[in-house]
Amino acid sequence: MLVFVLKRLLWMVLTVWAVFTVSFLLMRAVPGGPFDSEREVPPEIKANLEKRYHLDEPLYQQYFRQLAGAARFDFGPSYKLADYTVGEVIAEGLPISASLGLLAMSFAVVLGVTAGTVSALRRQSVLDVTLMSIATIGIALPNFIIASICVILFVFVIPIFPAAGWGSISNLILPAFCLGAPFAAYIARLTRTGMLDVMGQDYIRTARAKGLSGRTVVVKHALRGALLPVASYLGPATADIMTGSLVVEQIFAIPGLGSHFVKAALLRDFPLAMGLVVLYTVLLYSMNLLVDISYTYFDPRVRLE
Amino acid sequence: MTSTGRTLFPYLAAGAMIAAVVWSLSFGTLERADFTFVNSTEIKSVDPAMVTGQPEGRIIRTISEGLLGWDPETLAPVPGVAASYDVSDDKKTYTFHLRDDAAWSNGEPVTADDFSYSFRRFLHPEIAAEYAYLLWDVVGAEDFSTMRLEVGQPVEIELLDRPEGALPFAPGRRISGVLKEVIEEGGGTDGGADNTDGGNGNGTGKVYVVDVGGTERRFRRGDVPSADDDVEACRWVLRDFETVGIRAPDDHTLEITLKHPVLYFDKLMGFYPLFPVNRTCVETYGYPAWTKPEHIVSNGPFQLKFRRIRDRIRMEKNPHYWGRDDVSLETIDALAVESVTTALNMYMTGEVDYVPEVPRTILQEIQAQGREDFSAEPFLANYHYLFNVEKPPLDDVRVRRAINMAINKQEIVDTVTQGGEIPARSIVPPMVSGYSAAECDAYDPEAARALLAEAGYPGGKGFPTLEILYNTHETHQTVAELIQAQLRNELGINVGLRNEEWGTCLNSRRTGDFMMCRAGWIADYDDPNTFLDMFMTSNPNNHTRWSDEEYDRLLEEAAECEDPQQRMQMLHDAEAVLMSEMPVVPLYQYVRPTMVQPYVKGFYNNALDVHPLKYVSIDKELKRELAGH
Repeated sequence: MLVFVLKRLLWMVLTVWAVFTVSFLLMRAVPGGPFDSEREVPPEIKANLEKRYHLDEPLYQQYFRQLAGAARFDFGPSYKLADYTVGEVIAEGLPISASLGLLAMSFAVVLGVTAGTVSALRRQSVLDVTLMSIATIGIALPNFIIASICVILFVFVIPIFPAAGWGSISNLILPAFCLGAPFAAYIARLTRTGMLDVMGQDYIRTARAKGLSGRTVVVKHALRGALLPVASYLGPATADIMTGSLVVEQIFAIPGLGSHFVKAALLRDFPLAMGLVVLYTVLLYSMNLLVDISYTYFDPRVRLE
Repeated sequence: MTSTGRTLFPYLAAGAMIAAVVWSLSFGTLERADFTFVNSTEIKSVDPAMVTGQPEGRIIRTISEGLLGWDPETLAPVPGVAASYDVSDDKKTYTFHLRDDAAWSNGEPVTADDFSYSFRRFLHPEIAAEYAYLLWDVVGAEDFSTMRLEVGQPVEIELLDRPEGALPFAPGRRISGVLKEVIEEGGGTDGGADNTDGGNGNGTGKVYVVDVGGTERRFRRGDVPSADDDVEACRWVLRDFETVGIRAPDDHTLEITLKHPVLYFDKLMGFYPLFPVNRTCVETYGYPAWTKPEHIVSNGPFQLKFRRIRDRIRMEKNPHYWGRDDVSLETIDALAVESVTTALNMYMTGEVDYVPEVPRTILQEIQAQGREDFSAEPFLANYHYLFNVEKPPLDDVRVRRAINMAINKQEIVDTVTQGGEIPARSIVPPMVSGYSAAECDAYDPEAARALLAEAGYPGGKGFPTLEILYNTHETHQTVAELIQAQLRNELGINVGLRNEEWGTCLNSRRTGDFMMCRAGWIADYDDPNTFLDMFMTSNPNNHTRWSDEEYDRLLEEAAECEDPQQRMQMLHDAEAVLMSEMPVVPLYQYVRPTMVQPYVKGFYNNALDVHPLKYVSIDKELKRELAGH
């Protein structure tokens, strides 16, 4: 297994490098530069600005300069949040996005797996249809609609939560719910499908034949197999949710990474955009690695080599 | 092994969840500040030389103070660090008398040297302040800033080594001399000394021969000591700052000499990019470390307490501020809330006291409610369409005028913007003080058709498809669609629409890849010049490619003019040229829909949408009363 992990880590380095290179070229290919504004800067001053950020160098020099920085996880100063380096921006934003994301994800897993299991066991019942309808709506409804409805309901109609902000438990609940809801819905559907699949398998029949109670069969034997598709979905989903969501962060004014992602690209803040792309790649890759490792725990048939 | 994995999983999940909650709570709940406002976005910097935007201005204005300030109601210059100032008879020399009790937030006095240092830094090419041109009317400042050198001129050379005992981020040792000759190296093609150095720091390029106290020395710009024996390496060769018109004869006097009278120069001194920075602080920590709340030293009514990226900037009263007795607020929060809807929600639930923008979708509803805390006052900003006058048929002034006359601007503000915007017939908003704007043709479809026929396109026949370029935004799109319909109906012209994301759109504008393009402009200071100079031939903002000798001449003469009334007349005449030549169609003047809680006192609407917070106070009784109901 150690060999497997090492091999994957080596691939990770190559992947990050490829992502870095493609992103670098894409960023420079987009028209418009970081110091363009509606108010034109006199050319002499613009030249000095570009020199300060080494944008006057030939492209290959800039590439190697940035690559060397990226290798040390030092992406330099942000162009648009000039008082901070990219490292500082990520160090402040990631814990916020990550904690909110983990909270939303835990909630999504608990709710989704429970709903999915119940649905599968009570197949074709009213409960099944109701839960799955809610799940379908949850997947179909965009985040901002769920968030807007929540704000109207729980901030204005029944004023129990603050409208927006960050720093207390009451600030956490609405955004975590809105962020987790679509994931919960998707997990519910995955669990239900997985559960139905597993319940028809021979080893479940064997377990029942042994005389195990229904509860033991489900919790101990069926759930483990049913969660395989959920586990493979959780990897990328966690990477995704931990790096923040633009919509939820904007609506609830949460200082996470989600809005940095979009803003950096729109405002041509090359170093910040690059830092976030690399961070996301590393997270996504690590999560997928974790998922692969977790397969050996969930499914005795899987061996890593 | 499998069973441990399975049993472990729920615990891991629960652990992660608890960790997440603990983590997010570690930020702690903050006590609400005395005054909390929405600042629209995270600011770029608190360094006055680094920024250009309105959100940045709101913060710098709060933590720093310039020589002069602005009256919160009328925007007239009021004393700041300077208690008074004199203007010489030729209106070219301003002498500022600094007050004795002005102090930095560390208690040290603010002196004229601090301003001279700050202005020098602001102009220095290394800082590359985007607003540096604001001071280019000062004698020698433009040369200093743009690295323009002339043979025979006094120059200063910044060497690589620092003077002994200098702070870690102090500039290198400086020596002065007279420039004798500039030698181009490596086959440089641009001859002569009178050109700007593009600033290549690789050491090759130019050798500057300078007479330093009688001995001739040679310098080359570079970051490493020179390999040549007879050429020394240096960081900068600039016009000697001693010859720039900024002088501090003593601690409390600052003299600024201008190339020609600038009648709004006193107003300019209240503009935030010209606010001072603390030399010791800057040279101890360097940029950007000196801007950290734990390091920064500022001289305004408030000081930085802490910053959380994209969350808030907390400021508290500066106990050393000279006017501290009149400052009522103790703490201020500036929230970096980007969504206008979220900002409004926070306002409605009483979490914030001032929102600088209200969502367009609910404007009508709010206006219908007749709320007293809502206002939509016009300010010095306009929305217009630029023509690319090099693209036929837009090179024909008759076509441009016809298009202008066929656009029903009233309909745009009535059906699209709906916030009480004012249809515009001039590029300078009529509310600019002391100025009467020159107007373009009024809406007249009949005359527009006649003019278009005269230009050779009767009923729009043979007219190529016109294209409107705008940056992606709902309002811009609706305005463009309406104009598209108006032009088709009134003139029979086909109009295509093209929307581009902001950066791409700016690039298309700059490179002339457009026919008609949406643009906007917000005044920096209350003077027609801020709107008119962008259409001069030499101005980099002139994306229309329009050039008119008469217009350029009028503006240049106005810049030299000493008589305010005569100057305004010249600017009016220039605008008249612009409005008859029509490289630009003014559409409407912006309004700023804002909401301020009724218990906030000392807060006024004004033409620049600037609200100095040192005048603001909270009527606590009224606040309690309102909260009770």
